[in-house]
Amino acid sequence: MAWPYRSKVFAVAAVGAVMGLTAAGCSSSGPGKPVSATAKQTIVFAESGLGPEGAQTQKAIDAFEKANPNIKVNTDVLSSDSTTYLSQLEQSFTAGSATPDVFESDVTYPAKFAQAGWALPLTKFHPVMGQYFALGAAAGTFNGTAYAIPWFDNPEGLFYRTDLIKTPPTSPAQVVSDAEAAMKADHSLKEGLAFEAAKYEGAITAFLTVDSAFGGKLTPSNVDTPGNVAALNWLHNAVYVSHIAPTAVTGWQEGQVEQEFVAGHAAFAIDYPFVESLATAAPVKGHVGYIPFPAGPGGTPAAALGGEMLAINAKSAHAAAAWKLIQYLTSAPVETVRAEVTGDPPSLPSAYTSALYAKAPYFQNVKTLNNFAAPRPVNPNYLNVSADLQTLFSSVYASPSSSAAAQALKAGTSTISHDASATPGS
Amino acid sequence: MATGMPVRERLALTGRPPRRAASRKAADRRFGYLLVAPTVILLLAVTAYPLIANLWNSFHFDNLSYGSLPHKFVGGQNYTNLVSSRSGWVAALERTLVFTAVTIAFDVVVGLALALMMHRKFRGRGLLRASILIPWAVPTVVSAMLWKTMFDPRAGFVDYFLGAIHPAWSSLTWLNASVWRSWAAIFVADSWKNIPFVAIILLAGLQVIPHEVYEAARIDGASAWQTFRRVTLPMLKPALAVALIFRTLQALLVFDVIYIMTGGGPGTSTETLSFLNYQTFIIKTDFGAGGAISMLLVVIALVISAGYVRFLRPQT
Amino acid sequence: MTILEGRQPLAIRTIRRRRDRRKAVRGALFYLAVGVVVLVALFPFYWILRTSLESNSQVAAGVGGGNGIIPSHLSFSAYPNVFSQQHFLAPLVNSLIVALGTTVVTIIVGSLAGYALARLQIRGAGAILGFILLAGFFPVLAMIGPLYLLLDDLHILDNIYPLIIVYLVYTLPLTTWLLKNFFQQIPAELEEAALMDGATRLQTLRRVVIPVAIPAVFTAAILSFILAWNDFAFAISFLRTTGHFTAPLAIVTFGESQFQVFYNLIDAAVVIVSIPIALLVLFAQRRIVSGLTAGSFR
Repeated sequence: MAWPYRSKVFAVAAVGAVMGLTAAGCSSSGPGKPVSATAKQTIVFAESGLGPEGAQTQKAIDAFEKANPNIKVNTDVLSSDSTTYLSQLEQSFTAGSATPDVFESDVTYPAKFAQAGWALPLTKFHPVMGQYFALGAAAGTFNGTAYAIPWFDNPEGLFYRTDLIKTPPTSPAQVVSDAEAAMKADHSLKEGLAFEAAKYEGAITAFLTVDSAFGGKLTPSNVDTPGNVAALNWLHNAVYVSHIAPTAVTGWQEGQVEQEFVAGHAAFAIDYPFVESLATAAPVKGHVGYIPFPAGPGGTPAAALGGEMLAINAKSAHAAAAWKLIQYLTSAPVETVRAEVTGDPPSLPSAYTSALYAKAPYFQNVKTLNNFAAPRPVNPNYLNVSADLQTLFSSVYASPSSSAAAQALKAGTSTISHDASATPGS
Repeated sequence: MATGMPVRERLALTGRPPRRAASRKAADRRFGYLLVAPTVILLLAVTAYPLIANLWNSFHFDNLSYGSLPHKFVGGQNYTNLVSSRSGWVAALERTLVFTAVTIAFDVVVGLALALMMHRKFRGRGLLRASILIPWAVPTVVSAMLWKTMFDPRAGFVDYFLGAIHPAWSSLTWLNASVWRSWAAIFVADSWKNIPFVAIILLAGLQVIPHEVYEAARIDGASAWQTFRRVTLPMLKPALAVALIFRTLQALLVFDVIYIMTGGGPGTSTETLSFLNYQTFIIKTDFGAGGAISMLLVVIALVISAGYVRFLRPQT
Repeated sequence: MTILEGRQPLAIRTIRRRRDRRKAVRGALFYLAVGVVVLVALFPFYWILRTSLESNSQVAAGVGGGNGIIPSHLSFSAYPNVFSQQHFLAPLVNSLIVALGTTVVTIIVGSLAGYALARLQIRGAGAILGFILLAGFFPVLAMIGPLYLLLDDLHILDNIYPLIIVYLVYTLPLTTWLLKNFFQQIPAELEEAALMDGATRLQTLRRVVIPVAIPAVFTAAILSFILAWNDFAFAISFLRTTGHFTAPLAIVTFGESQFQVFYNLIDAAVVIVSIPIALLVLFAQRRIVSGLTAGSFR
């Protein structure tokens, strides 16, 4: 039984009149007949691009239209805040709208779109997932089926000052000792390591940047693993034992971490590639190293995956044309140009060309990192899982207790697995 | 003729034909309903409508995150879930109540001191009053962002001054690094913004105390303290009650300052009832559980404000 | 006798002098206390102004050294940057539209209701007044869920205009009460005379009552504007895209981006948002004080 206020008629009549506002016409339309890729048609592309990124997307779309004169692409520019962007898309999808036909999606959302039946399984187009970075492709795959194609893969890794640390560290313990040595040697440093530990999404990627170095893996069904405990402990100890990181990290997001590193306050920083392009002044200019977090015993070099993917609306009548657009946007030459202009790291290893390196040498580091960048849990309830993890990490970073990480993971695992597996209406 | 005398009696005195008066009164009344209607309807739309919808939702499953799944009846499940340990509602309730108690006690004491200060006639009184009013008048976002800056170890003055007292205090992290320091920062920001309101209400209370009462106390040889205890405080009761109840509700529903300064952290240790309400509705898009939290919040707020309305019942 | 006569004034003089000194000390202490209060109230504003006038590198360097209480040099880059980089103009205009819109609706609707409740002897006036007062106490965060769903269904989520209606919950109760109290104080004879001359109630209201009530209406308008300008809870719940944000919401979201956002930028925005409010307070503090107290207790 449905509560009547959800019905538009009732809502408009009863309260719309009171509010003195007329509802905008409802634009949702049911699924139409599939249109072939060669027919003349207009498709809608929803993206969150702003500034140079949006401009570059538009350029690529113009080129696509030129190459495919039968397809016209209208862009819907939605919010640049990823959570807001998601809810805007949700509004269209819950209304059963056939548009947008193609949409950009944060790497953490495809599972949700897939579960809800909003994203079209891409199986029938036979996508060649092997051509992308494997971990990036994994983020678009739910229950063994590809739902989203990596557009650009933004790996979070470890920055270090090459002038202070001559050879990159090869173990987590060495990161600590290098940081301590650098702080001793250079008193203009305010901290050995900067990382984002504010209560927000970035705390999860910062954690993932070190996690697999300790053999950890973020699986929502059980986060209380020895590897995860060791990884969280390492970050916690950086604040409370070795003191290479200040307690102020609890207020830092990637922007502040970047400021610390670029201002020359930090020997190490956990952050995204954009930091490198901003290190344009002394004392950091020309002294930036960017590596996966070095592996500890039982681990592998670690990095965390950010970035954007492209997917098709399950209700779209223009899936074939939409797929053409996706193929075009994620083709190597287009990705290379985008990387040169906006700094968005290509999702295809083949797009990392010598021409790109000539323009921006740091993409060599980015490519290395993308081989290790671990995606966040592919889970339809990721937003809830994320909220739980943010709370968990935030409580650990505020507690000086040496067993904080172990205790918090132990206590939090049941809540997280509950929220991750929650199937509604049961 | 007294101006405040009701129309009916005045008409009786002047002996105007009662029928015309009666018909005008009826017309007046009809016209009155017409004038009141927009206010009542608009306020019903923004309060009664959400209340009823919340009541309904709280007994149903209704979560946008799960797309268009049916909103089936779930009985009291949303309420029983709240009381279970996992939801954190009980902890949030305790936190909110403690914060409310501490805040209103502090605010009323300091607010009274400020009111007494402003009540004195002295040069610069206007400056004092404006200085006190400005923190109240600026948006909570301003006061919260402002104190977030002040408590920032790099950008703020708190650590800068504390560092002058003791070097170890020069780089304290206040927000999200320690539970009590996070609360302390929230408390400072909240009190700085809201004490002025208490002070203004109490000042108005002081101003309506007739001067003769003080004269009488002075002639009786009462000391300043005795006058304050025996004369000022009792006569300030109505104003005190108003200030207390306004502040109690404000503190009970605190949201903006916490969202901005700590986001509920570290962990969940600064999450209050309103914060939980926001998170459940807007982040988790769970309108069933959110409805239950809302209903309980409304009940708590209504119990308190009903006391206020009873106290202030208009003499119509 | 003469000696005694000579001593008495002396003793009185010493007592008086001692009393004067005590008075002076007390006066000094009082002014000291006043100074402390003014400092606590205003120093944070000085500090944000100071931070807003720092350059990015000064902010990054932190407080200390040349960046003490008075920074060694001033930089005005944050003010243009807050508009060019953060597109702060749109949120400011949005806030202005919503706050003014709310004020206008509040004044029209609230003054009619206030007049009716004060003068027209409608049945159940007490209950209506009680309801209006209760509405003012309604928990804001408890309203957002259903209103969110409603706005979503009406396709007016992420739109500033519905806020004008929603904000009435902040402004209408105070305004109705304030104006009702004011109308009750206007001598009834004024209206009686007009009514005797054959004017209708509406004409009387427009020609006689409103002109007299202008000061109270003005007070209510100022308070309504402040309350609407200050909202954060509804804005963050209903607005989604940065171009539709109100100014307070925009300030809070400045930091939520990957790009460099320094405190000087945030604080420049904080200063800009505070200026209209500070001006209102300076020019209308008497009205604000009387309005606050009349609206809440009498």
